[in-house]
Amino acid sequence: MSDKPQAAISCQNVWQVFGPNADSALAEALSVHSEPEAAAAALREKGLIAAVQDANFEVAEGELFVIMGLSGSGKSTLIRCISHLLHATNGEIRIDDENIVEATPARLIELRRKKLGMVFQHFGLFPHMSVIDNVAYPLRVQGMKRKARLEKAQKVIDLVGLGGREKHYPRELSGGQRQRVGIARSLVTDCSVWFLDEPFSALDPLIRRQLQDEFLQIQAELKTTIVFITHDINEALKLADRIAIMRDGKVVQIGTPSDIILNPVDDYVREFSKDVAKGRHAHVASVMEPGEGHVYGADDPGLRVDMTLDAALARCMDLYEPVPVRAEDGTLLGVVNPADLAAALHVEAG
Amino acid sequence: MKMTRYAATLGAATFAVTTGMVQAADLGAVDKPIRLAVNEWTGQHVTTHIAGEMLKAAGYKVEYVSAGMMNQFQAIADGDIHATLEIWSSNVSDDYAKKIGEGTVVELGDLELAAREGIAYPAHVGELCPGLPAWEALKDCAPLFASAETLPAGRLVDYPADWGTPGADRMTGLDLPFKAVPAGSEAALIVELRAATERKTPLLVTFWQPHWAMSAYDVKFVDLPAGEDACFSDPAWGPNPNAINDCDFAASRIFKAGWSGLAETWPAASEILSNYTLAVEDQQPMMGAVDVDGGKVEEVVAAWMAENEATWRPVVDAATK
Amino acid sequence: MAGLSKGSLAALVALVVGALCLLLETTLPWLVTFPETLVVPATDWVGTGMTWLLQLIKPIARGFSALMSYPMEATNLVLGSSPWILVIAVVTAIGWMLGGVSMALMAVVGLGFVLASGYWAESMNTLSLVAVSVPLALIVGGGIGVLANEYPRFRKPVQAMLDIMQTVPTFAYLTPLLVLFGFGPVVGLIASAIYAAPPMARNVLLGLERIEPEIKEAAIMAGGTRLQQLFQVEIPSAATQILVGVNQCLMAALSMVIIAAVIGGFDDIGWEVLLTMRKAQFGPALMAGLVIVVFAVIIDRMSGTLAQDNRKRYDARVAWGILAVGVVASAVTWNSLPNPSEYSAFDDAVDAVDAGLSAFTTANWQWLAAVKNNVLYFGLLPLRIGLDEAVLPFTWGFQWTAQWSLGLFAVGAVTGLMLALRGQVTWGIMVLIFVGMLETGITNLPWPFVLVGVAALGWVASGRGLAVLSVGLLLTILLSGLWDRAMLSLYLSGAAVFACAIVGGGIGLLCAVSPMAWRITRPICDMLQTIPLFVFLIPVLMVFQIGEFSAFLAIIAYAIVPMIRYSRHGLTETPDEMIEAAIASGATTWQILRDVRAPYAAPTILLGLNQTILYAFAMLVIAALIGTTGLGQLIYLALGQADVGLGISAGAAMAILALIADRMVQGFAEERRKVLGL
Repeated sequence: MSDKPQAAISCQNVWQVFGPNADSALAEALSVHSEPEAAAAALREKGLIAAVQDANFEVAEGELFVIMGLSGSGKSTLIRCISHLLHATNGEIRIDDENIVEATPARLIELRRKKLGMVFQHFGLFPHMSVIDNVAYPLRVQGMKRKARLEKAQKVIDLVGLGGREKHYPRELSGGQRQRVGIARSLVTDCSVWFLDEPFSALDPLIRRQLQDEFLQIQAELKTTIVFITHDINEALKLADRIAIMRDGKVVQIGTPSDIILNPVDDYVREFSKDVAKGRHAHVASVMEPGEGHVYGADDPGLRVDMTLDAALARCMDLYEPVPVRAEDGTLLGVVNPADLAAALHVEAG
Repeated sequence: MKMTRYAATLGAATFAVTTGMVQAADLGAVDKPIRLAVNEWTGQHVTTHIAGEMLKAAGYKVEYVSAGMMNQFQAIADGDIHATLEIWSSNVSDDYAKKIGEGTVVELGDLELAAREGIAYPAHVGELCPGLPAWEALKDCAPLFASAETLPAGRLVDYPADWGTPGADRMTGLDLPFKAVPAGSEAALIVELRAATERKTPLLVTFWQPHWAMSAYDVKFVDLPAGEDACFSDPAWGPNPNAINDCDFAASRIFKAGWSGLAETWPAASEILSNYTLAVEDQQPMMGAVDVDGGKVEEVVAAWMAENEATWRPVVDAATK
Repeated sequence: MAGLSKGSLAALVALVVGALCLLLETTLPWLVTFPETLVVPATDWVGTGMTWLLQLIKPIARGFSALMSYPMEATNLVLGSSPWILVIAVVTAIGWMLGGVSMALMAVVGLGFVLASGYWAESMNTLSLVAVSVPLALIVGGGIGVLANEYPRFRKPVQAMLDIMQTVPTFAYLTPLLVLFGFGPVVGLIASAIYAAPPMARNVLLGLERIEPEIKEAAIMAGGTRLQQLFQVEIPSAATQILVGVNQCLMAALSMVIIAAVIGGFDDIGWEVLLTMRKAQFGPALMAGLVIVVFAVIIDRMSGTLAQDNRKRYDARVAWGILAVGVVASAVTWNSLPNPSEYSAFDDAVDAVDAGLSAFTTANWQWLAAVKNNVLYFGLLPLRIGLDEAVLPFTWGFQWTAQWSLGLFAVGAVTGLMLALRGQVTWGIMVLIFVGMLETGITNLPWPFVLVGVAALGWVASGRGLAVLSVGLLLTILLSGLWDRAMLSLYLSGAAVFACAIVGGGIGLLCAVSPMAWRITRPICDMLQTIPLFVFLIPVLMVFQIGEFSAFLAIIAYAIVPMIRYSRHGLTETPDEMIEAAIASGATTWQILRDVRAPYAAPTILLGLNQTILYAFAMLVIAALIGTTGLGQLIYLALGQADVGLGISAGAAMAILALIADRMVQGFAEERRKVLGL
């Protein structure tokens, strides 16, 4: 296989099977069946559960990669394979070109102390430690002196906006505040790969949006590679560079937010995008055709490539001819047919 | 099996008595305390404390250690406890015979406490069954003693099961229409006596003296044919020609025993303990003073020691001077 | 056959085997009495094996014994020679730190009571025994819990071992302990550590298992080593549950210290209870018992606050102040205070209690005896030896004959048939089985029927595994010749459990409905569970005399408590939403109780029943002190004779019965929980 050096994370043929003698059962199933579907069926036959089936994808350095699916789709299992909280039954998971499936326990501890950070759905805060002790804990296990680690923890606490609550205990905090602690704790080691397992789904919608915005700011500042799990399509679309959609243990589609919205591979994915206001998430680029050889009308509503469909449609509500899309400097980049714009917004109806 | 154990202890007794007649001996390790077993009943406390005071008078240090009657012999064999001073031949565990056989425990001779066991009743029962204390009266009175568990036979409260079933053996031997109910514990026996006395209800128990309850509840023994050796081996003997055990209990022997290293470590103490004896007339009032009048064993014993120096002093002097 | 449910199939099999046994019992007597030639001298083997083993590890044990005597003597010296003012001040200060004014006050009043009772010295001896045995139990129990958590494949064997440690009657292992550790307080210490370690182990394991996975994962992702994860995150996170374990461990150690007094060696409060009991003095025995209750309450409440989540913090300066006052007062009164043993503020009350008991029994014994006779004639005796032997002219007023049997079976058959026709096939068959058992009596049941019946029950309760296990274990009892004794124990504890279920369930229900009733019942329950049970033997014996009925009552007095507690708890803990829905549907209080609360509480109540069964078995040994003849008596015999083999075998037989009953009830409870989706 082609090992692209620029990939921060790469997963190849990753399987996670639960049940008695999972290793040998999977090996046997894979030797008999070449198709992952058939192998999974054979495992099911034996009463084993293939929670992740043959996952293949890569995450580029600095990319925000969202894994989305309904509960039970295997997304939490997959992120636990990548962070090696679970030992993948089969496959290769490379982080910065190092296969962590085969890493020794000592190396794993090393990796976690230096490189990996994780945020949990229900926060995973240590109830017996104060906010600052929770945040400083990853430094404490490394043996950092108390003063130094508290200083560093304080910085991260300020970063997530929890300054002044250092001495509080988790039980004294609201849900949103608790997750800020979780985020701070995962950031305290300056990780380069950041795992977030449904970090905001236990929160109120309002708090959720606020934290998402702050999360994007933090990400813009830190530029870490991120694997983000969610079951909320709006969250995925809002945050993701690319989205992987999982269903029953399989990755069914990987693509940019507009790919997912505009070109769903099957009904399952289409079902997700049904309630989404697509105009807010897809951009003009997704319906644009190359400019050369296309005729376009005399009107120029001033469309730009990174405009959302909603915005574009608002500008050409009363136009029927194709319109040009230009760069800031006026060069022609392509042509958009207003009818396509409208059709893209109603894709699920057709 | 009970009989063989009996014989073994008797044999050991004669041996101990003959070797006990030595002249004044070394005191031995006076700095090391001699540990005496304190068992569960008051009479034994009195016996033990008198012995302890005698040892102190001879110049020894003494410690009293609480210990169970039945299972103290392991501790004595191990030298954790050095002597126990009131063992009833009728009520001694198999463990004792085993330890004697091993030689880890040695007998220290008779306490010469004239003990008696028998079928007994609180005095008021004599009015309910007028033929008592003659044992034949029980034949006709049996229904009087009947209870829900024993109907139609009368009820005899026997020793706890772990002490053996002497009462039941008597009833079978004498062919009396009584069913023996094991008491479970000494406490249960006493409670039965107390309840019967307070309510003036009929009660027949297997009991023994010296015991404070003998006077507290005015307990009387039933007159049974004397317990001769032949009674326990020859069915023809006694009122029932077809059975053994058709007689009273064999006389109980009460003796002392100690750790095998006792004579070597404290020669004089060993001699004092071997020659130490106590009479029922002395012990029973002291038991009453403790159990009925609520006195402390130490004080009751101290008072007795002061008054009866002539009784115990010679034993101490014989060993030390 | 195909149309039958699992339950009716099992019942049918048992019925057929039972009927066959009844028909064949005259021609094949070995069906009723297990042939003696087949009995193996397992007791002797166990004895020989154990003796060999004990000799082997005796030197190590003796070394340990010698080692443990140092902390014992040290604590004994410290507690024994400290002036009582200082001890009270220390405990009060601790009370303040843990629970403020109320806890401090409780310490002062409680210890003041102990002091005034004149049992101060004995209490301090008991306390020093607890002070050494509890840390030992905590270390052992905590270690077991952590290890079981680290190595999941040990969990099952460890759980089984804990079950055994708790179900084998303590008296059964006192004998080998005596041989091993020599005489003296160390045996009491070890015995109480063995008894107190399992609750600790269970709670540690439970606490560690219940930590949210995310917390564990967060610790892993933080890069902690396994030891760092365990000690810095998991154990502190499970602290609440672990402290519950500490609390239970303390209580178990305290109750065991009292039982261990039977072997003596330490002039403690338990020994005092035994001495007063031997004199049939209820007043003093109750007094000594109450001293233990006071200790139990203080220890329980204080350690209980540790396990609370949101514990308030109290000003430490107050505690130091109390301590300082204690030190100063001790120094001032040094040597001028009388010996605490001379206090006897309650002597009059004690005598009054004793006299009161006498007066009560003398006045009331006739009707009480009538109650006893009726229960015996019409309840216990038929249950034990069957109607055919229990119905005699002087009990029921007539003689049981074959016609009566026939008539009984006919009535049973008709009832059963009617039930079956109305669709209740299982109950129909059960009625017939019950009639057969009543006719035969539990102790006369043919052994093949017992084996098949237990297997059938086990199969219904939790499947083939339990059926096989139960039969295998029962076979060992059968083969070792302890069957008759075991059936006697089964009968007595079974009757007691049945009575507990009815009476305890009723009281629990009453307490669930009326807070007033619970306010009265609760302290009684607390006392029944903490006071040494020996104390109650005296009044029970005074009133009902030696015999089965007294034992029956003594067992009930102890075993009824969990039934009451769990019934009430189960019935009151229904989720509010369910109750609201029921109210909205227009249900009355009783309808809610019957249709919503009771079904929802069923698993909890079954759990209570399970506890009641275990308690009843535990109490069997103590009931033997009032002259029962089952396995309990054998255990005493063994203790007296220092017969290791007999003690262990009888103890094991008892544990087997308890274990089988436990697994079955748990199986049914599990099924109910599944039905309710819990």
